[in-house]
Amino acid sequence: MSSTAILGGWIAVFLTLGIFSYLYKDNPFYKIAEHLFVGVSAGYWTAIFFWTQIQPNLFGRLWPTTEFSADSLWYKLYNGLSFFSTSVFPEGGIDKGHEMHLIYLIPFALGVMMLLSLIPKINWFARWGIAYTVGMAAGLRAYGYLNSNVIGQIKGTAASFSDPTLPFFSLTSPSIFNSIVILVGTITGLLYFYFSKEHKGTLGKLSKIGIYFLMISFGASFGFAVMGRISLLIGRFVDLIKYSSGDYFNASLWVLAIMIIILGYDAFTNRKPPLNEDAV
Amino acid sequence: MRTIENFILKIGQVDRRWIFIILALVVIIPIINPIGMPIRPTETTQVVYDAIEDLPPNSNVLVSVEYSPSTKPENHPMTISILRHLFRNDHKVFVTCLWPDGQFMAQDALKQVAKEEFGKVYGVDYVFLGFRPGNEAVVKGIVSNIRKLYTVDVYQTKIDEIPLMDGITNFSDFAFLFSSSAGFPGTIEWVQYAADPTGVPMSSGVTSIQVNEVMPYVQAGQMKGVLAGMPGAAEYEALIGQKGSATSGMDAQSVAHLVIVLFIFLGNAAYFIERKRSRKY
Repeated sequence: MSSTAILGGWIAVFLTLGIFSYLYKDNPFYKIAEHLFVGVSAGYWTAIFFWTQIQPNLFGRLWPTTEFSADSLWYKLYNGLSFFSTSVFPEGGIDKGHEMHLIYLIPFALGVMMLLSLIPKINWFARWGIAYTVGMAAGLRAYGYLNSNVIGQIKGTAASFSDPTLPFFSLTSPSIFNSIVILVGTITGLLYFYFSKEHKGTLGKLSKIGIYFLMISFGASFGFAVMGRISLLIGRFVDLIKYSSGDYFNASLWVLAIMIIILGYDAFTNRKPPLNEDAV
Repeated sequence: MRTIENFILKIGQVDRRWIFIILALVVIIPIINPIGMPIRPTETTQVVYDAIEDLPPNSNVLVSVEYSPSTKPENHPMTISILRHLFRNDHKVFVTCLWPDGQFMAQDALKQVAKEEFGKVYGVDYVFLGFRPGNEAVVKGIVSNIRKLYTVDVYQTKIDEIPLMDGITNFSDFAFLFSSSAGFPGTIEWVQYAADPTGVPMSSGVTSIQVNEVMPYVQAGQMKGVLAGMPGAAEYEALIGQKGSATSGMDAQSVAHLVIVLFIFLGNAAYFIERKRSRKY
């Protein structure tokens, strides 16, 4: 086994047990693991965003190799930029299969504006970029939700009644009975969120049925959440067991022992004196 | 009766750290000593399997990887099993990622399955397009013109130079989509912006937490089945006849669930006993 793999195993064990140590109480091991996670994630995301989108798809469209001309003012600017980094701005333009599209200067400018939020005096520029993003996302999502969540779901609720091949009752597969349950659940669930009339009489009874459907749904969500967390715990334990083998010089056992000793020593030396009730 | 009530009350007041230790033990012991509980595929898993099984050979299948190491125990076995099934049936696989971390998850799965297990040729049998930022805008981009969004693959090879990409211009050129998802952007965005508008069939493997959110789309026929968390992955491993990490985790999962149910029962019993006694006095 390579030394890199062994070192990786030790780091993985330290970080896993560091996070788990929070179950005992907040401590420096947990803080180290938490801060490392945030820092590494931010660094990784920034790097991958830059190299998968900004460099190839933005700069690649502004200064493509196909239209490189050392005499043009536009590429003179590019050559100036390549002085700072030849890996971002390689000699002769960026070769990522794009044609020149100067329209991409607009998203470039909006992106720069968003970064200006870091400078208090001109941070209002950032609103333009945010406004564009919010507007674009709202428009895109409105269509998606209307098509799939409203029309698609209404179709799905209604379609089963018109299917003559369906059995009347089945617990696990589609049936007319299940369709009735879905229909009643959908309507009563929606009625619970109808606030223009006081929930009394028939409306009150129906909305109460809706509450029961919602409660069952929350119960199922809780069950799935528990299942998910246990799955993740299993994953970490499988790795810890793997790293406790001789191939990794018993990393899990050593790190666990060292952490217990340090946390135990800390608990022993920083014991709070018992409250003197007479003094109160 | 009083002794039992006192015992339950005592358990109800136990320090939560003891519960953590008990839970850790009930998870570790079945991993070290597997019980071998039976795994039977549920209908939603069977539908995913059948949908892939029914694809004609050499179909173009898009596999989208949108999860990070944090949900690896749930999503990774699904991705591996789906890739095994696709390569075993000689389909052409195209891999994209909506999450940046998904890129190295997909790389890991492709290395294991495509290269080491099946000896598939990159660019001929499969292509790894990688990650593009933009969430649902990326899905829209793939639907309208994938070549505009991906001019190079993950290894910076131009798309025009990859033989497998010949004739692929948009989402309708794929016969099937499988999304291995852990949240946003993921399965729901694929349904909303790709599968529903184009009619291309899709399935998904999701984390347990997402199951309730995704199930309405399965029920309405907008998705062909779903692999629900680690149990879904284990069921799929059973269906393709190749056991993996999900199967080995299922014993621990089942025992842990029993213990959690027991704790919930005891906690509630302690609450009701305490309430009864406080009313009495």
